[in-house]
Amino acid sequence: MSFEEISHTADVKIRARALTPDALFTDAFLALMQVVYGTDRKDGITKEVRIDSDNIESLLCDFLSEILFIAEVEGLVFSQADITIEGLSLTAVLSGESFDPLRHSSGTEVKGVSYSGLVIEKDANGYILDILFDV
Amino acid sequence: MLDGVLQTGVNEWEVPVGYVPGMRVPGKFFLSESLGSTLETGAIEQLANVATLPGIIRHSLAMPDIHWGYGFPIGGVAAFSLDEGVISPGGVGFDINCGVRLITTPLVQKDIAGRRDLIEELFRAVPTGVGGKSTLRISPPDLERMMVKGANWAVDTGYGVRRDLIRCEDGGYMKQADSRTVSEKAKQRGVPQGGTLGSGNHFLEMQVVSEIFDPEAAEVFGLSLGQCCCMIHCGSRGLGHQVCTDHLKLLETATKKYQISIPDRQLACAPILSPEGKDYFGAMAASANYAWANRQLITHTTRQVLAKMFRLEYEDMPLVYDVAHNVAKIEEHTIEGKQQKVCVHRKGATRAFGPGSDELPAELKKIGQPVIIPGSMGTSSFVLRGTRTAMEKTFGSTCHGAGRIMSRTQAKKNLSGKDITAHLLKAGIIVRAHSDNAIADEAPEVYKSSDEVVNVVHEVGISRLVARLSPLGVIKG
Repeated sequence: MSFEEISHTADVKIRARALTPDALFTDAFLALMQVVYGTDRKDGITKEVRIDSDNIESLLCDFLSEILFIAEVEGLVFSQADITIEGLSLTAVLSGESFDPLRHSSGTEVKGVSYSGLVIEKDANGYILDILFDV
Repeated sequence: MLDGVLQTGVNEWEVPVGYVPGMRVPGKFFLSESLGSTLETGAIEQLANVATLPGIIRHSLAMPDIHWGYGFPIGGVAAFSLDEGVISPGGVGFDINCGVRLITTPLVQKDIAGRRDLIEELFRAVPTGVGGKSTLRISPPDLERMMVKGANWAVDTGYGVRRDLIRCEDGGYMKQADSRTVSEKAKQRGVPQGGTLGSGNHFLEMQVVSEIFDPEAAEVFGLSLGQCCCMIHCGSRGLGHQVCTDHLKLLETATKKYQISIPDRQLACAPILSPEGKDYFGAMAASANYAWANRQLITHTTRQVLAKMFRLEYEDMPLVYDVAHNVAKIEEHTIEGKQQKVCVHRKGATRAFGPGSDELPAELKKIGQPVIIPGSMGTSSFVLRGTRTAMEKTFGSTCHGAGRIMSRTQAKKNLSGKDITAHLLKAGIIVRAHSDNAIADEAPEVYKSSDEVVNVVHEVGISRLVARLSPLGVIKG
């Protein structure tokens, strides 16, 4: 896990670094879950998600938006994801548990995943991501 | 003030065409010199980006609570002509019709001060925070009616009185709502969340009227010195968030289809009268209606708690007003001397219609629209009134709150939720939230002074001060 929260006045800005796009997306996913549900998250219940998009930025936003939807509607809190990206198709096997108000209420709802300031870049050390969650 | 920004009057500033490439009109914002030190370059860039959108009229505007958001800056206002202009979810936000309302009570400060049992009861009765689910039984057909009739549905169903609707912006619903353009996903999120507060900066606060600036307006609004009130701040919950997400994607395709050049993907847009633009407008209006119904449901729960604890009649707690601060509306404004229908986007800005406006009910026509400005936790909130100056300068708009100046990361590092709670308690303010983190996130220190923000809009004349409200107890998500 390699992500950090970067200072942003109104919202939550996350920076992640990883060697592969799969790992970068996993970091973004874990950051999102941590912002909403805190750090006490267990595995157990699995769920598979498939997303296709037109470009890599949309693939990430669409994936994270789908996670927000599933978590809220199905009452699931995820702790792990096994993500495979081939071209502009993503498959994620997620693992999590049922929402527990006693352990999962310490975070902040994320209203949306923003394209403003979204950066996915590759440099000599791998991939870097900046992404903004509206809270 | 930042480089490249020009002063055009007291508390008035211009961002000239050319600040970013492709600007069609200048940017204009209202800010005092002292608040200028909090201004971020990112926010001014976003203000300038909005000025590049087709059909924008006169200025890209920002109120003194301006700060860095996504798409439009927070505090951003822009009007677009219906034939050449665009509509953008980036000018409304994910939380469609996030807004605020104020209810008065016959109670006075000594009735409520120190009453932790009241705050605990409100916290128990109004679902808050992450995963908060409605205790009301809202069926899918109810949801449909919420999206079409907004607060009207809630009142018809028994969650309020007819008089509440007169005191809501737009009578509590936008007639252009089209629930067919709201996805099944959005509807699924909407059913269990009706009547829930949410998290972040959303709150329900018991307050006391601690100062009256304009006795005539205060009397018309139903406010008197020493009176206790309840302020509710929340929006359209997951339903609105999903509508924004869904339509942002659809409008990205439309942006390319109509060959609109945008400097930020979050400004994806479509001509207002195109099929894609109309679909977003219909879905946004349906979400706005859901938000009005939601605030009406929370009002009902609050009135029930207060009625039971203080033996009050339900009708003893009238609504002062309910305002939206994240919305796009078709409104009539005077453009170059002629009345013209335009699409006004307000993103973290409040409608502030002046005296004589056709949109206002008869009882408010002489004074102007009540404008409700929530302060940050532990600081004053304000009631103002709309003005004719706002109609001339800002398409009838003013600020919406204090505006953040400290990031959440910095807040968590520097401030402890426990210390803040203890400090506020010493000042006579009871705070109840799910976690200390939520309190640190929203501490008074992370916001601009609400006094300074409202003083700017008062001095510029885009709304005028009526009353100050001081907090006594607050529940947060």
